[in-house]
Amino acid sequence: MTKKPFVLAFAVTLTVLTHGSVFAQAPESADKFRTWLPYQGVPSFTLYSGAPNTAFGFEWEITPLLYSFGMNKQISPWYSFIVEPPGRFTGSIELNLAVQVFTRKIGSSYFSLSGSLIGFIPLLERGEHLTLNLGVSMYRFGERSPLFGVLGVSTLFGIVHLNVKHSPAEKIWITSLEWRVF
Amino acid sequence: MGPRRAWQRGGALSASVYMVGLLVVGGCSSVPARFMGKAIERMGDPILPVAEKTRHPVLAGTTLSVLWAGHATVLIQIQDKVFLTDPLLTRTAGMLSKRYIEPGLDPATLPRLDYTLISHMHFDHFSYGSLDMLPTDGSLLVPFGALAYTPDFDFREIQEMSPWQTLEEDGVRITAVPVQHFSGRYGVDIPWMRDRGYTGYVIEYAGVTVFIAGDTGYHPQLFKAIGEHFAIDLAILPIAPVEPRDFMRFAHVDPSEALQIFHDVDARYMVPMHHRTILQGFDPSDTYAVEQLQKCAEEEGIREKVVVLDIGERKEFFGGEVDRPARQ
Repeated sequence: MTKKPFVLAFAVTLTVLTHGSVFAQAPESADKFRTWLPYQGVPSFTLYSGAPNTAFGFEWEITPLLYSFGMNKQISPWYSFIVEPPGRFTGSIELNLAVQVFTRKIGSSYFSLSGSLIGFIPLLERGEHLTLNLGVSMYRFGERSPLFGVLGVSTLFGIVHLNVKHSPAEKIWITSLEWRVF
Repeated sequence: MGPRRAWQRGGALSASVYMVGLLVVGGCSSVPARFMGKAIERMGDPILPVAEKTRHPVLAGTTLSVLWAGHATVLIQIQDKVFLTDPLLTRTAGMLSKRYIEPGLDPATLPRLDYTLISHMHFDHFSYGSLDMLPTDGSLLVPFGALAYTPDFDFREIQEMSPWQTLEEDGVRITAVPVQHFSGRYGVDIPWMRDRGYTGYVIEYAGVTVFIAGDTGYHPQLFKAIGEHFAIDLAILPIAPVEPRDFMRFAHVDPSEALQIFHDVDARYMVPMHHRTILQGFDPSDTYAVEQLQKCAEEEGIREKVVVLDIGERKEFFGGEVDRPARQ
């Protein structure tokens, strides 16, 4: 029962923001959306290490909102769902939501949900070659909602991200190899 | 499990293995995959030095001078105005395509730049790291659609240029002219950048007109239209990659097509670029394109109009080493 508000918030955010933003941009948005959509089906990899066991999983992420501070000032710094890679890697703060499915049960379920606030700090070639990723994540595993610190890097034009997440309170480590296209 | 179900399962498995096999074999033998393999193979190659690199790239007095820094990076000076095209001064284009030879221009020796022109968003033409090395007192011009890929550089002004749009400032006229290429930067963004994000430029100043094509395939109507609009003194044209021809034809002219553009725009002189600098195709040698160009120019009897520069070499036109002929 306690999962319901989390799931509902996730679904409402997805619906409202998708409807409100994707098609309200430039004329090429329909083309962008058609290209963007299938890539969101490609899963990232995640490894959960902690109680009650270690489990490998797949993860799907979306970006309801991103504020970019590294792009030229003639374009809007706000992005929603479709994020051209420079918008993220030239310096940004991103709110992302994700769903994970694990090969073994984490508590009572194979599934988890997460919300993250991540900052991307460009290190090499305006971040196109390397960024530092810093932030916080909240996961929902069954009845538990631990908070994690996030540290990682992204490379290869902002497409490949390696993030390590740690919850000191619950002694959980999550390592994610993420594939971000837009 | 019954025999039918077992057959179905086996069939599905075989079909899956077959499909994966096809994708792997097809993917590995595709031009981009072969290119990737060649890029990785050449990663360890040394970057050759440029023998004579000028310490004074901007001259005190010149009518028109052109310094080829390698690939599509050309420093153009028309009297007191200085222009730089598609600066590529980093060790690689993107992260994979390594330079064969160092840039023929040290950005630290550039006292100023009035205009930096970006023809399109591919890594070898719109290099973020290179743009960060340049003086930023001038303007950065990018093609229509490229602002979404333009970081917050320190240039005095960043301006997007639509086809046939002209910028006029302080006696300088720069017109974005259409060429035949494709844009996008990361591959997956090509579908919505089909009709935007790439351009050529025509610079007019002090009675001198220079056409820079950026990257282009051959399209007779486009170039004849440019020739009708402008009295072009110098055309700076790409000549490579040539091979594999079927793959390259749409977006990249070969040397004979570059010469055809030179005729279509009715220019007085041509300087070739976009060759010898980085891995960009499957030409038999790094000098293949320029040798083909010289052969074609020889056959046409226009060898003196095609000015082939070495990387780092500068040529002065109209008052320098080449006399200005009377325009017909």
